[in-house]
Amino acid sequence: MPQPAGLLYSKEHEWVKLDGETAIVGITDYAQNSLGDIVYVELPRVGATLAQFGNIGVVESVKAVSDIYTPIGGEVLEINGALEGDPALLNREPFGAGWLFKVKISDQGETGNLLSPESYDELTQE
Amino acid sequence: MPETIRRTALFEAHRALGAKLVPFGGFEMPVSYSSILREHAAVRGRAGMFDLSHMAQFSLRGAAVGAWAETLTVNLVANMKPGQARYNIFTNERGGAHDDVIFYRFDAERWLLVVNAANAEKMWHVVSASAPPGIELVNLHGVRALIAVQGPKSLEVMHDFVDADLGAMKYYSCLETRVRGLDAVVARTGYTGEDGFELFCDAEFATDLWDALLAEGRAAGLEPAGLGARDVLRLEAGMPLYGHELTEEITPLQAGLAWAVKLAKADFVGRAALESQFAAGDYPRIAGMILDGKVPARSGYPVFAGERQVGEVRSGSVAPSVGNKNIATALVAPGAAVAGARLEVEIRGTRHNATVVPLPFYKRPTPP
Repeated sequence: MPQPAGLLYSKEHEWVKLDGETAIVGITDYAQNSLGDIVYVELPRVGATLAQFGNIGVVESVKAVSDIYTPIGGEVLEINGALEGDPALLNREPFGAGWLFKVKISDQGETGNLLSPESYDELTQE
Repeated sequence: MPETIRRTALFEAHRALGAKLVPFGGFEMPVSYSSILREHAAVRGRAGMFDLSHMAQFSLRGAAVGAWAETLTVNLVANMKPGQARYNIFTNERGGAHDDVIFYRFDAERWLLVVNAANAEKMWHVVSASAPPGIELVNLHGVRALIAVQGPKSLEVMHDFVDADLGAMKYYSCLETRVRGLDAVVARTGYTGEDGFELFCDAEFATDLWDALLAEGRAAGLEPAGLGARDVLRLEAGMPLYGHELTEEITPLQAGLAWAVKLAKADFVGRAALESQFAAGDYPRIAGMILDGKVPARSGYPVFAGERQVGEVRSGSVAPSVGNKNIATALVAPGAAVAGARLEVEIRGTRHNATVVPLPFYKRPTPP
């Protein structure tokens, strides 16, 4: 699956799309493929304040529970409600309709801690 | 435990199919090829093919095999007829399970015993340490392959491969025959809750057989299926998985396998313990549960009745054949293991409602 342009990544296989003071967060295609069929997603509450790289929820596949870490800190503005009824959206469209949540970024400087698309590619091809 | 991870004869075939491989029972095994849910659907609706060559096969030979094996196990062995297969459990002195196994009888003297991969070394020790003179044991672990074809179309898939009338085989029967001209054993057994066959053959021709089955079975909808799908299938069908519903501490009675425990037969290892457990009747036992919500229950999660912890989850999964609900087995106090009882499973600090249901969760619509 081609990766959309303009995303930054974490070593834990989350992506973040920056849009001024806000950001959208999801998991990568590599992550969904490693997990297999996703059957449940637990997300933070709207209004919650998240610290960068904090454990903020879980993704459950048929086989296992995996923690989700937010690649960027901030206040949760919105969560993707479609995942409750259709968690497999994460498998089908990890970079699109399967996004996880939107945050109001608390510190733009944190983006310096993220991986470029090239560095993330290197990480997943190791 | 083996220090190096082993590969079955079909390892390259799995890799060519793009399987996700994971360590299991000392072997590098396919957990899935396409997706666990897709493979599950193939087995329930059509047919799926599994590599089970990691399971250990022991050849047993001698006139006294039946009588000897009965001293180590809970079920009857000696009265098996040639061509019969039978589920059984080896027990320890406390009545706990060393392993659950299948005995296959070919004639007066020749038998095959199939044990779980994770218990292969332990079980080889159990049988070889106790076999009396006159019983010949051969450990075929890794030497013989095992391929299972499971699902409503399995007869159609297998039909052209075997020099025997497979349709006439009864469930839990076995046959020494020829598969594509080579000596093999075929049994109508499985671990999915569907009709199906298991094929035991020399490892050296396993890959040719696997490839031919896959190529010719595609028309009937056959797909390769991994251990991930197998675990969901067996849990739906209410079958125990060693290490979860059965352990050295969990007895066959606790696992709901009383039907296989023949307390009236001659003495066997663990009988006294099982007799007193049966007589007391107050032991924790495996119960099936369906959770109300969408959060899967996993092995080890605590189970509550009101404020009291009554046990823990032993297996759990989303269950496509049970309306996509989350199902689980739990080892719970006897008072909680009653159909209709409302229990709670604690998942990451939050209680989730569940209802106790009779096992199995799923029964196939038209048994053969």
